[in-house]
Amino acid sequence: MITRRPWYGTALMYAALAGFLVFLGFPLLWLLSASFKSSGELNSLAINLLPAEWDFSNYASALARQNLLPAAGNSLLVSLATMVITVLLSMPMAYALARLKGRLRAAGTVWILTSQVFPSILIIIPLFLVLRSINLNDTLFGLILVYVTFTLPFTLWMLQGYVAAIPADLEEAGEMDGASRFTILRRIVLPLLAPGLVATAMFTFVSAWNEFFLALVLLQSPELYTLPIALRSFLGAEGQTQLGPLAAGAILATIPSLIIFTILQKKLTGGMLAGAVKG
Amino acid sequence: MKRIRGIGAVAFAGVAVLALSGCQQGSTSSGSDGAEGDAVTLQFQSLSDQPATQAAVKSIVDEWNAENEDVQVEIVQAGWDGTFDKLITQFSGGTAPDIIHYEASSIVSFAADGYLADLSDYIDPDLKSDISEGIWDSVTQDGQIIAYPSTLQSYMVFANADLLEAAGVEIPSGETMTWEELQEIAKATTTDSTYGLGWGLASPTAAMMSLSLGFDGGFFDGEGTDASIQVEDSELAVPERIHEMAYTDKSIEPTSLTQSGSDVLASFYGGKVAMTVQGSFQATNIANDAPEGLNWVALPPLEGSAGAVQAANPQTYSVNVDSEYVEESADFLNFLMNGDNLASIAYADALIPSSGAARDGVETLAADDPAWTQVLASGEGLEGPPFLKVEKYTEWKDTIATPAYQQYLADKITSDELAARLSDGWNDVAG
Repeated sequence: MITRRPWYGTALMYAALAGFLVFLGFPLLWLLSASFKSSGELNSLAINLLPAEWDFSNYASALARQNLLPAAGNSLLVSLATMVITVLLSMPMAYALARLKGRLRAAGTVWILTSQVFPSILIIIPLFLVLRSINLNDTLFGLILVYVTFTLPFTLWMLQGYVAAIPADLEEAGEMDGASRFTILRRIVLPLLAPGLVATAMFTFVSAWNEFFLALVLLQSPELYTLPIALRSFLGAEGQTQLGPLAAGAILATIPSLIIFTILQKKLTGGMLAGAVKG
Repeated sequence: MKRIRGIGAVAFAGVAVLALSGCQQGSTSSGSDGAEGDAVTLQFQSLSDQPATQAAVKSIVDEWNAENEDVQVEIVQAGWDGTFDKLITQFSGGTAPDIIHYEASSIVSFAADGYLADLSDYIDPDLKSDISEGIWDSVTQDGQIIAYPSTLQSYMVFANADLLEAAGVEIPSGETMTWEELQEIAKATTTDSTYGLGWGLASPTAAMMSLSLGFDGGFFDGEGTDASIQVEDSELAVPERIHEMAYTDKSIEPTSLTQSGSDVLASFYGGKVAMTVQGSFQATNIANDAPEGLNWVALPPLEGSAGAVQAANPQTYSVNVDSEYVEESADFLNFLMNGDNLASIAYADALIPSSGAARDGVETLAADDPAWTQVLASGEGLEGPPFLKVEKYTEWKDTIATPAYQQYLADKITSDELAARLSDGWNDVAG
């Protein structure tokens, strides 16, 4: 028997949700507002949610000065490529990790955990030398390979959890109907794994999109700089910050991420397994 | 299946861009031969971040390239943030550019590791004699000149003239201003709604090390890894004065001690503090951003018991010791550092140029800007500080000095404890 939630319960739930949205959305709103404020207003004590005078010059100087658009293109390219490679590689590996038993699985788990221990600064010079020896330093392809290497262990760990959540009964049922291992993977596991794949893809995309240090060190040509590097150039010597152009640049930098998320979040639907197996 | 197709489409797009990315190769390669065969291309990694400065540097490079077809200079634009890590990797990997723009205190360790060329024999004699020994000293390691010192900043006091006049304070107009005067003015201008001074000391070490020279507070003896530290009355003079103003006189806005210099400007513009200590480069920002009607002035340079002395920690241009074109790089830098060129860079960056000729050039460029008079005056007392000779200074500054000063300025530890932390910490760092 289903009991109806009391009206105040619903009201509280929506209030909490609204509060959470404000909490998450306010920094973005403030950033947007700052991007339209003049330097004088940004450096005043006045706390205005909306600019006193709308100033569009921050966007003009951000776009004209700091090479943001090519950097955005580089970031998009690197992030998408990292996302695709990582997901393609981690999918079969995660399945094996989740379904196989034995020493290999234990060794794989240990490798994943161990690889997360080392901070990037510890291995940056050897990494740089290795990339240089194969002529991949100062290339986006080299950066993508490094990002894949860094994100793969965690995404593998993440994805194998999703695989483990798929009841083995479904695969057994497919087997009884005569489906091959590949068919089972393609027709049964993959559709059920879709939300997990999307979550993994989003995580990988954001990791690559926001990464600064490796890109800073591995890319030397200004035309290959990614967005975080381009944005950091708004921070000058002696701690000077060009707040207005930086805010404008940050807003522009957020747009591609928002589009990707809008596309992918629709796929993030849960409850797909409801009713798949009788309790 | 629609879901899978959607993901598949994204995957396909990703593979396509991946294929494209494989085709993208950077253009930076140190000291490359040009297409002409005999022409040399020098990589010049510039950190200039202000649009006007970038334009000035580009104009200088364009002029050089037009006049020197056999030695072309290519600007590689980089940012200040993370540069130290980037350079370490570039030097270790043998891919550092020919010409490196940075700052004196940060290139010490590179020089110690033998990555920077000795420029002593290449520097134009006229330029050499036009820059003070104190500033040359800041870029000299083990008798080798490892960089051209280009522009510097000093610490200056900016004041709201109206608030000073309202408090019955006469605006100092001498060649220098003593710390006692600063303290008196700060006390006099502190009211229920206004503090006398706002000082952004979130990262206090640089200011402490620089201004302590005005009291003969050098901190370090010796060079390289053999340097020893002493923290005595002369080294504690500046932090103790600030502490006294903050906690005895209550004339420093307490919040400002936890802010950056730029953050405090808002309080200065809003009339919440009568004075603020800032890097000299802020003169231009104040001129641009101060609300209309704010009657602000730059006060004379601060003078301690040893004079109006501050640390010269100039921005620098060095040459990679592994460059095949050290001489050509130095020739270009002699050109970059000539009076007119350096003046245009310094004026655009609102910094003090190292050479007399460039200072004259800035005076001409800034003829209608009275704040520049004090900015340039504050540059007269800049000297090479002992800490620039100390190899592990940066590590000590970041891990020991900054947290110790922060705790002292937050009134969490006494000055004796501060001295002990600075000394013991150095001994730990230096091993």
